[in-house]
Amino acid sequence: MKKVQFKSNYSQYFFLAPQLLILLIFLYWPIIQTFKDAFTMQDAFGFGSQFAGFDNFLFIFSDPSYFTAFKFTIIYSFVITFITGSIGLLLAVQANKVMHGKSTYKTLLIWPYAIAPAVVGVMANYFFSERYGLLHHLFNNLWGFNWYENVFDAYIYVIIAGSWKQISANFIFFLAGLQAIQKTVIEASIIDCKSNIRRFWTITFPLLMPTTFFLIIINITYAFFDTFGIIDTTTIGAPGSETKTLVYKAYIDGFKGLDLGSAGAQSIMMMIIVLVITIFQFRYIEGKIHYN
Amino acid sequence: MKKLISIFVLLVSFAFTSNSYSKTEIHWWYGNSGFLGDVIIEIANRFNESQDEYMVIPTGKGSYEDNMAATIAAFRAGDQPHYSQVYDAGAAIMVAQVKNGVVIGFEEMAEKYGIDVDADNYIPGIKNFYADGDGKMIGVPFNSSTCLMYANMDILNEVGIEEVPKTYEEFEGMAQKILDAGYIPLLQSHSPWIWTENFFSRHNLLMTDGNNGYDAVPTKTLFADTEAFVYHWTKVKEWYEKGYYGYKGRAWGDNQAPFTNGEAAFWFGSAASFGGMKGVLPNFTTNPIPYWDSVTGGKEYPTFIGGAANWILNGHTEEEYRGLAKFIEFMGSPEMDLYYHNMTGYAAVTKGGIELAETINFYRASPYHKAVGDQLGLEGSTIPGGYRAGNWPQIREVIYENVEPMLNGDITVEKALSNMDKGAAKLLKQFAKTL
Repeated sequence: MKKVQFKSNYSQYFFLAPQLLILLIFLYWPIIQTFKDAFTMQDAFGFGSQFAGFDNFLFIFSDPSYFTAFKFTIIYSFVITFITGSIGLLLAVQANKVMHGKSTYKTLLIWPYAIAPAVVGVMANYFFSERYGLLHHLFNNLWGFNWYENVFDAYIYVIIAGSWKQISANFIFFLAGLQAIQKTVIEASIIDCKSNIRRFWTITFPLLMPTTFFLIIINITYAFFDTFGIIDTTTIGAPGSETKTLVYKAYIDGFKGLDLGSAGAQSIMMMIIVLVITIFQFRYIEGKIHYN
Repeated sequence: MKKLISIFVLLVSFAFTSNSYSKTEIHWWYGNSGFLGDVIIEIANRFNESQDEYMVIPTGKGSYEDNMAATIAAFRAGDQPHYSQVYDAGAAIMVAQVKNGVVIGFEEMAEKYGIDVDADNYIPGIKNFYADGDGKMIGVPFNSSTCLMYANMDILNEVGIEEVPKTYEEFEGMAQKILDAGYIPLLQSHSPWIWTENFFSRHNLLMTDGNNGYDAVPTKTLFADTEAFVYHWTKVKEWYEKGYYGYKGRAWGDNQAPFTNGEAAFWFGSAASFGGMKGVLPNFTTNPIPYWDSVTGGKEYPTFIGGAANWILNGHTEEEYRGLAKFIEFMGSPEMDLYYHNMTGYAAVTKGGIELAETINFYRASPYHKAVGDQLGLEGSTIPGGYRAGNWPQIREVIYENVEPMLNGDITVEKALSNMDKGAAKLLKQFAKTL
């Protein structure tokens, strides 16, 4: 194949410049600042700044609540990924079957996706309020629900709050995935196999693997980063620090506690964690997926 | 022609509006919201109407923490306001920033620009809380509160209790009666502030080493080492299990709501909670916070001053500071001080305000307002009137994180308190490195 060569006259740099400038200001510069913060010790106003080596990292590793946040973030992202993925898939499969009023179902199921996490949190707050919360009363009648002090109950609270909106995202992508499957494949499989369920697991689901893989990554990043607003408007990390995600902890230490060194170190740790998870996914999971 | 006229009209209207812009602007950021925020706006409006030279522009930034974070971010960006409200837990940080030229002490500003002010106008106890080691006033006292006990008198009458408890022993004696009548005996809205910091001040006990940070930079808190404190939380846990004390999470309002709705007999909150409760709950009283008779031997000690002060930030012009000094003078006038005291329930902070209150027999007309001054005005303490410990906002977080597992029985009281000490020691050490 013949390669097309453009003559360089630097005009490409001109057209790239706005994009690069935005990246520079909103991405690279903050990252550099974060590294600077993580390796220095300074007071809230930025004075007394001195090189601290790995002191900030040692500080967070000697903090038991950091590991609590780590544990919670891992549990939270796995549970959210699983719940939103499976419910989203179920709804997509059902909505795909509907003959009448298809677009109404679709629209209603997609709506929650447009709501900001903080607003979702405030809504969940009403549902779980001890005074007038419907879900609070329901669970309380079932087993004596009290998220103020019971860790398991607090988990339920933030998991329901965090999942609801993300189910919509999963629904949209699964529905699109389902509609992209060629009719002929489905029709051929109907001749070979009568069982709906078996057909789904052997034909439809494998064909949805690229979508699933994509959604797993999206859901994990969502649970890691975007649930910040939900935690802040629901449990604020209580009881203890059991429902603090890593992002929320970095925020509390950095902006409420005014300790930028520790918050910077936490941000870098978070970057490493996300990097490791993503590499793992691309190396070991993606290899098993067939894109066609 | 029409076009010309409209341009002319536009220009004229600009000329009129720019009238207000020719005044010297003074920016005041605050961390109160709702009713208390409205009162702040009203104060600024009254000042702006009282003279023509200066204009104070108040901007609410959310909570105390939000305002402090916003002020710091603004300072780092070189865009700080002239005057900012910072709360008690941030006082150590602000006082430490005088040497870096972030904060200008009130008296220092007056000297530098030859402004005639009187720092002694403020009550010594409150002035000293926001003063440096030499007693020079740095922060300007503003909304000074402390924790108080609110009592629902209807509930007490119903169960046949005549006197509100003065001590925790008395409370313990009447709690079962209240519980049997179907009410929550006790709620409180801030475990670190009310049942930690002010537990120590109320019982005349030191909270950290280095004389609460006044003599030396503190390295540790004395939670687990203080027998009375261990005893107190052991009792609180016992009350929680018996239902004498109800915990409704960390949110201030969630703990206050059952009391405001007439479901709880006692609630510990701030002196300033009074404004929002008046007119909602028909028959309540404000009282000093109880103490353990067994700990103090019957003596009562004052609590720390809570709430916030206003801090003057560096980096503005002399003319603006002159305006700010005028505004501070205006706010410190007896009439404004009493107005604020009356509206919000915060303590009167000036000598003139207190004198005026006495002259007009204010406390006979409104006995609610008396408890805060009474409690803060107690004498005989041998500990400092505050604490100078850095990273305190995070230490409060550590306290909360250990109270919850303690109440639900995951960890023992001793373990929870030693966890708090450990967490606090690390944060204090971290802060000491930045000094």
